[in-house]
Amino acid sequence: MTVGGGAGGAPSAFDPKKIRMYGLVGSVVGIYLGAILNMALNTNVFSFVGAVAAIFAVVMGANSVRRICAYGIGTGVPSIGMLALGMGIIAVMFGLSVAETLGFGLLGPIITLVYAGVFGYIIGVLANKVIKFNIPVMEEGNADLSMAGAMAILGWSFAVSGNLGYFDIVKNVLMTGYIAIIFIAGGLAILHPFNANLGPDEKQDRTLVNAIMVSGIAMIATGIAAILTQGLAAGLLQLVIGFALWFYFFKMYYKLVKRDAAAVVGTGLLPPTVQ
Amino acid sequence: MDAFSMGLIAAMGALATVAGASEDIESDVGSQSNPNSQVQLAAQVGNPHRIYNKAISGEPPANALWAATAAMVAYTLITAFQMPALFALVAGASVAALFNGVFAISAYFGRNSSQRRFNQWVYLDIVRYTTPSIMAHAWITSFCIATISYIMVYMLPIHHPFPMPIIALIWGLAVGAIGSSVGDIHYGGEREFQNRQFGCGLNTMLSGQIVRKAEAGLRNSIDNAWFCTKFGGPATGMGFGLTVFLDNWRTTVFDPVTQASLAIAMGIFFIIVEVFYNLYIEKSARRKYGPYPEYKGDIAA
Repeated sequence: MTVGGGAGGAPSAFDPKKIRMYGLVGSVVGIYLGAILNMALNTNVFSFVGAVAAIFAVVMGANSVRRICAYGIGTGVPSIGMLALGMGIIAVMFGLSVAETLGFGLLGPIITLVYAGVFGYIIGVLANKVIKFNIPVMEEGNADLSMAGAMAILGWSFAVSGNLGYFDIVKNVLMTGYIAIIFIAGGLAILHPFNANLGPDEKQDRTLVNAIMVSGIAMIATGIAAILTQGLAAGLLQLVIGFALWFYFFKMYYKLVKRDAAAVVGTGLLPPTVQ
Repeated sequence: MDAFSMGLIAAMGALATVAGASEDIESDVGSQSNPNSQVQLAAQVGNPHRIYNKAISGEPPANALWAATAAMVAYTLITAFQMPALFALVAGASVAALFNGVFAISAYFGRNSSQRRFNQWVYLDIVRYTTPSIMAHAWITSFCIATISYIMVYMLPIHHPFPMPIIALIWGLAVGAIGSSVGDIHYGGEREFQNRQFGCGLNTMLSGQIVRKAEAGLRNSIDNAWFCTKFGGPATGMGFGLTVFLDNWRTTVFDPVTQASLAIAMGIFFIIVEVFYNLYIEKSARRKYGPYPEYKGDIAA
């Protein structure tokens, strides 16, 4: 049963185009920054930059989920989050392996991004034209989701492996099984914000703050994973930064809840009905 | 096949039974998954309530996250620090329970504050005493599932080729799917509409008209856990326990490499037996309780 979510597009304070620009530029620049710093200084302490970069992508993805699902897709919110990461993981594997084959490992994120955008757009066209969802923002939203999913997976994979090389990612992320936590924590980071805030009085800033908060949790998870693949220092650094981000944004989220809720009470009987 | 591996399979079945039961009760304490629709609708049709609204996606992805987190932490501790397995699994389940708590609280806050126009309040006492109960059940689920994956990867004579977090992810998805389809009906169909005649199904007219008052005082989610422990939880446990036990039994008795066809045939045999058993249960229920009478207004239950 579809619940909540006012139809006809959700009102938003932040323009989706701006969020897309920040999301894409932030995530790509962040992943490159982390990779180049790690390579230039021959260290792996800057792997956490990849996890921070993934947050930009997650915010963009959460906003895109919000835009698509505001057309009355209530129970489809979890599915669309999983779809985002499903498209993303294919794009990441494709992008990294093509870059490796071409001999330019550093081209990986760009190839991933382009492939994810095209792939997501095609899925969006299929959803609208073949399955007949008839949601106006579906093509654009799916392209966004696919790119967000790909960049989030790539950012966290880099945070776990400390390197953008295809074989390193396969060895440190896939063979260890850490892809499982990246996939599911990343998926929830993209789908949970709108799902948790679903309802007629949903506010964009509250949803996006929730996205950053959940990304902080995912960063804690990748930090724990990085302890094994990169050693205690790099892993703990990531874990602590993830915890700090989570803590800060959880407090901010609680503030927004207090702002938006009808009432936040310690305890009490049933409130009077408003119809 | 030897006695040791058969014992391990039995232990996995037992762990899965516990995991299934606790998974279902965890989702019922928080009103997750499909019964959540009615909790969400209640305020919108003019019934604000004091029931937890834990909308963390569907049960399969949520439980996949808890299980994968527990397995990931345990795998890291075992591999990087050579910690004892039991300690590592307990630590992993604890991290998973903490994650669960954060997700649960943020969903309760978010969903309720998005219903401002219906005057649905956010009650902090509910967050304080219900969230630990949800986390405790999530701890049990993730501990059991991470232990099942540990047994499959490290202890069975034929080690599973997949890494531990991926197996935990798959079992987490499975337990969530089973909990969602088996146990939730008991909560969503029976408990939320306890004041209607037994077996009447959910008429569209009744959408959101859930029971908000308890035997004494206002109904809360802990009461719902008490109710669901009587049937929904154990039924889910049996469903998941049988899935894990039968599936692993056939690949332990028959070698998956040399006797693959026998293992597959045994799987098909189990499916056929279960289909017929389900058919029998459905027919016997229809025979015993008969067709539901036409709706003639509310009848005292």
